[in-house]
Amino acid sequence: MKEEEIGSTMDVDPKQYEQIIINGKDSHNIILSYLIHGCFKDTVESLVASTGLKVSAAQLEDMEKRKGILHFALNGNVLGAIQLTEEVSPDLLEKDKGLLFDLLSLRFVELISSKKCTEALEFAQAKLTPFGKMQDYVEKLEDFMALLAYEEPEKSPVFHLLSLDYRQHVADKLNRAILAHACMPSYSELERIIQQATVVRQCLSGDLGKDVVSPFSLKDFLKS
Amino acid sequence: MGGVDSEPPSKRRKLKQSSMAETLADDSIGSKRIKKVEFVRLIAESLHSFGYSNTLSNLEKESGIAVSSGLVNEFIKLVLDGNWDESLNSLRKLSVLDESVVKLASFVILEQKFLELLNADRFIDALRTLRTEISCLSIDQTRVRELSSLLLCSRGNVTKPKPKQEVIIDLQRLFPPDVMIPQGRLVQLVEQALDSQQDSCSFHNSVCVDSLFSDHNCGRSQIPSETLQILQEHQDEVWFVQFSHNGKFLASCSKDKSAIIWEVSLDGRLVVKHRLLGHKEPVSCVSWSPNDDWILTCGVEEVVRCWDVQSGECVRIYDKTDLGMVSCNWSPDGQRVFTGFNDKSIVMWDLDGNEMESWKGEKTLRISDLQVTGDGKFIISICKENMILIFDRGLAKERLIKEDYNIVSFSLSGDKKFLLVSLVNQEIHLWSLDGDVRLVAKYKGHKCSRFVVRACFGGVDQAFVASGSEDSRVYVWHRETGELIKTLGGHSGAVNCTSWNPVNPHMVASASDDRTIRIWGLKGLNSNHSCMCRT
Repeated sequence: MKEEEIGSTMDVDPKQYEQIIINGKDSHNIILSYLIHGCFKDTVESLVASTGLKVSAAQLEDMEKRKGILHFALNGNVLGAIQLTEEVSPDLLEKDKGLLFDLLSLRFVELISSKKCTEALEFAQAKLTPFGKMQDYVEKLEDFMALLAYEEPEKSPVFHLLSLDYRQHVADKLNRAILAHACMPSYSELERIIQQATVVRQCLSGDLGKDVVSPFSLKDFLKS
Repeated sequence: MGGVDSEPPSKRRKLKQSSMAETLADDSIGSKRIKKVEFVRLIAESLHSFGYSNTLSNLEKESGIAVSSGLVNEFIKLVLDGNWDESLNSLRKLSVLDESVVKLASFVILEQKFLELLNADRFIDALRTLRTEISCLSIDQTRVRELSSLLLCSRGNVTKPKPKQEVIIDLQRLFPPDVMIPQGRLVQLVEQALDSQQDSCSFHNSVCVDSLFSDHNCGRSQIPSETLQILQEHQDEVWFVQFSHNGKFLASCSKDKSAIIWEVSLDGRLVVKHRLLGHKEPVSCVSWSPNDDWILTCGVEEVVRCWDVQSGECVRIYDKTDLGMVSCNWSPDGQRVFTGFNDKSIVMWDLDGNEMESWKGEKTLRISDLQVTGDGKFIISICKENMILIFDRGLAKERLIKEDYNIVSFSLSGDKKFLLVSLVNQEIHLWSLDGDVRLVAKYKGHKCSRFVVRACFGGVDQAFVASGSEDSRVYVWHRETGELIKTLGGHSGAVNCTSWNPVNPHMVASASDDRTIRIWGLKGLNSNHSCMCRT
């Protein structure tokens, strides 16, 4: 069915999968890296208890801190998040201006969402103005400032800046930056494996050109 | 208001008034059925702009036309005063306007309000205006975005609000023209009429501003047609004349082996300044240096001499042993001299008489003119009997103008973009050199079949073409239309060459085989540098 649709030359016979043997320890490590990346501290502790993997106290502490930072960022306390970040990774925000801009503008969005427009304007004038002089940030800054112009910003052309998706995006960015700063991998192994598989499948479908009915879909693959 | 006085005066007057008001609405004037109402309103707008308010209100009373709506006037005044909120109220009262126009006009006004508040550092008020008044108009989101960003600008760095007059002009563009008459509309219409008259005047040869009282029509009277002076100093046929670039001098040269520099005095009469003697052969042409300090003269198949205009001294002789020169000219920067030789080559010299470069091969003919254009890059000469060569000396590239008949002479326009080529079949062809070389116009009527006859450009904006002719007359055509406008009679021999004074459009010189030069000007007056205006 599915194999016939895509083209028998392209898809692999599922029986071939069984030829590949995966080490149990590798699987556990992949899961662990994902959990550490996402700061799921309690889950990590229970996994460690069941599998006999080792996690250091420093790693646990780091997870706790990052969890706090990200929680603040997602839930209306960007200033708190910034403060904690400075403690955990000093001079990270000094060096990464893009990240600093994202965080400050997130704070700006917080103020707008809580209808504190005057405060938002003052905050912008104080903190965001310097970014207006840098070519890379001018357009983004204009996007944020546009939020001020509307009494119902959720109906404005830039409403996406108020969304949870956007906050998540900034939080992710912050998470990766903190990990990188501490010389830890900024992408979990699980993520990397999925990304690699997707890219490979896309390349394969690309090579076969017209024969392809649809590009590779991870969702469909997992269901099959 | 004549007629029999049978009715009491007051009754009669009222009757007249009401009938006037009635018929006005349908009234149209002129052959194009111009609406009288509109015409009166234009007059009113002009009166208003001159500040004649009494006359204006009288006009309104007498004509019975509400010249402009009181509401609109009120609106305009509020805008000019910068009273934004009131002006918005006033705007909404104008029911004649479309909803979209009201929105656009409101945006214009509110933008100015916003900018004013910003410039006064009243950020919170500006923000409120933006949020509650401007963005709810839901137009021009891009501009809303820009205004938002302005809130971040540092003091003193903000966009300034426009002058109120400009705001009125912006609003005028949005309003239908019969609601708010564009300022200066009557003047604009008059200017359009003047332009149209000037464009259709084929004799336009004056630089005066026209009177509005009569149509612009130069009439043939602006073309020089009267002999003002006959210069009889040459002993033999006069072959060439040319005015200097500054129009102060005329140079002539003759078969009598001499050239003469004439000075144009303030009253327009020419007097001999210098006789240039020294050539051993008839002199075929003269050429003024770009700054008019020097003159080149060319003896037929002999040498080229360079003379100082002020002193009349010969300062340089350009010579090449065993070769005779046939033409000469200056480079546009006046630093180089180009000469043509009877061996068909062209040589470039510096001012000290040193030969700099030469081009051999069929570059020129024994009878040929020589022109240098394009910052000295292009050399133009007659290279074959029916071909003109435009030679790019830097790239050694050639462009050719090919004619069906033999070419006797050519001359270049003042802007170096056009070439006037005289042919042996009694036609003069106008070629454009700008971009593609192409034939633009032809001029006919004169006689040219045996001798070298020359044509030239002249008049205001070089709008005319003049040429000599073998029938002893000077011919003048309108350049644009090719229409032969005038022929000037008086000479008793073939007219070889003409020159139009570049500075005085009412002075033309002609050189003839009858040994004289005639100076032509306007009827009735000695032409001088001030222009003749019709009053």
